[in-house]
Amino acid sequence: MSFNIFKINEDLKEFMPPEIVDLEEKATWGNPKRGVMDLPYSKELLEEHSLCAGCPESAAFRYILASLPNPEETIIVNSTGCTSLVFPHIALHTVHSLFGNQNAIASGIKRVLEWRFPDKVKDVIVLAGDGATVDIGLDCTLQSFFRQEKITTICFDNEVYANTGGQESGLTVKGHVFKMAPKGKQWDKVPIWQIAIDSGCHYVARLTVSSPKKVEKVIKQAIYVAREVGPTYVHLYTPCILEIGLNSDDGLEEMRRTDKERFKFFEYMTDEAKEVIQRKKEEGLI
Amino acid sequence: MYYVAQVIRDECTKYNCKQCTLFCPEPNTLMYTDETHHAYVLTERCKGCALCVYVCSNLLKRDSIEMVYAENRDVAGVR
Repeated sequence: MSFNIFKINEDLKEFMPPEIVDLEEKATWGNPKRGVMDLPYSKELLEEHSLCAGCPESAAFRYILASLPNPEETIIVNSTGCTSLVFPHIALHTVHSLFGNQNAIASGIKRVLEWRFPDKVKDVIVLAGDGATVDIGLDCTLQSFFRQEKITTICFDNEVYANTGGQESGLTVKGHVFKMAPKGKQWDKVPIWQIAIDSGCHYVARLTVSSPKKVEKVIKQAIYVAREVGPTYVHLYTPCILEIGLNSDDGLEEMRRTDKERFKFFEYMTDEAKEVIQRKKEEGLI
Repeated sequence: MYYVAQVIRDECTKYNCKQCTLFCPEPNTLMYTDETHHAYVLTERCKGCALCVYVCSNLLKRDSIEMVYAENRDVAGVR
């Protein structure tokens, strides 16, 4: 993948859709200092997605894609869920394999890229929902942490299997009732961020997407640490407003409320990760 | 017949906050122009969630965005 893939033949430019032309002319490529403050002006790497109106997950996608320090050399591995509906609309290389094996696929891609392009920096990022990360794909996720694969894992936690009607997941909070979990969940929410630390992640963060700049900072830190040190994990709360019975304009309020409760900002980093982050801060990249 | 967001330009130009453009869940829908210093909505992409109105009116108390029927929007004001 390279930026050249978006170069349009001059003779055909007048026939191209304006979104594709914008992708060449107005998207922020080749600038490691790109961030969420480009959003009001530039063409985003995401185009008209099919998520619900007001879905906080789509805001998370905007912030993450705007924060990638090296989008033209980034490969995103995703898994089944609402997130997988968005990937056909993203202007980057994305890979969708079986439900739950996203971290195994990402490990393989990262290793091959290191072997094939030893002189280039290639980022491999996993974007998956809570079911893929903690229930169905827990094995592959933790194994990639144990093996110290240099990938960034980002979990969109909406605390329910949302697009299949509302079954409880490992990350559902104890007692929560959904359409397909009428008795309420009997067990506690899995503390996956703590498990990630114990499994060998060098940078772990837990937050909601109510603050774009905070998301940008966390994503950049996670990617830079994954490049040099080892696995990193970011846990984002993106509530499903339909399944918890909120209106389309209530998502942000819900996240601001949980900012003070169970999704209070939490960050962990090892000494090696601190060194990398400090160096990148001095270079002005974070 | 559905609602879309519309920026009240005279109100919006008083501030330089751009917060609505960050919190809108739709990509490239609420944009900002430095030429005339206000946000604007690309109506074809707006799903009408009204999150921008929550940000502008409830959080920031600036009341610079309103929801209007798509048919009744200020066509001259849409870029």
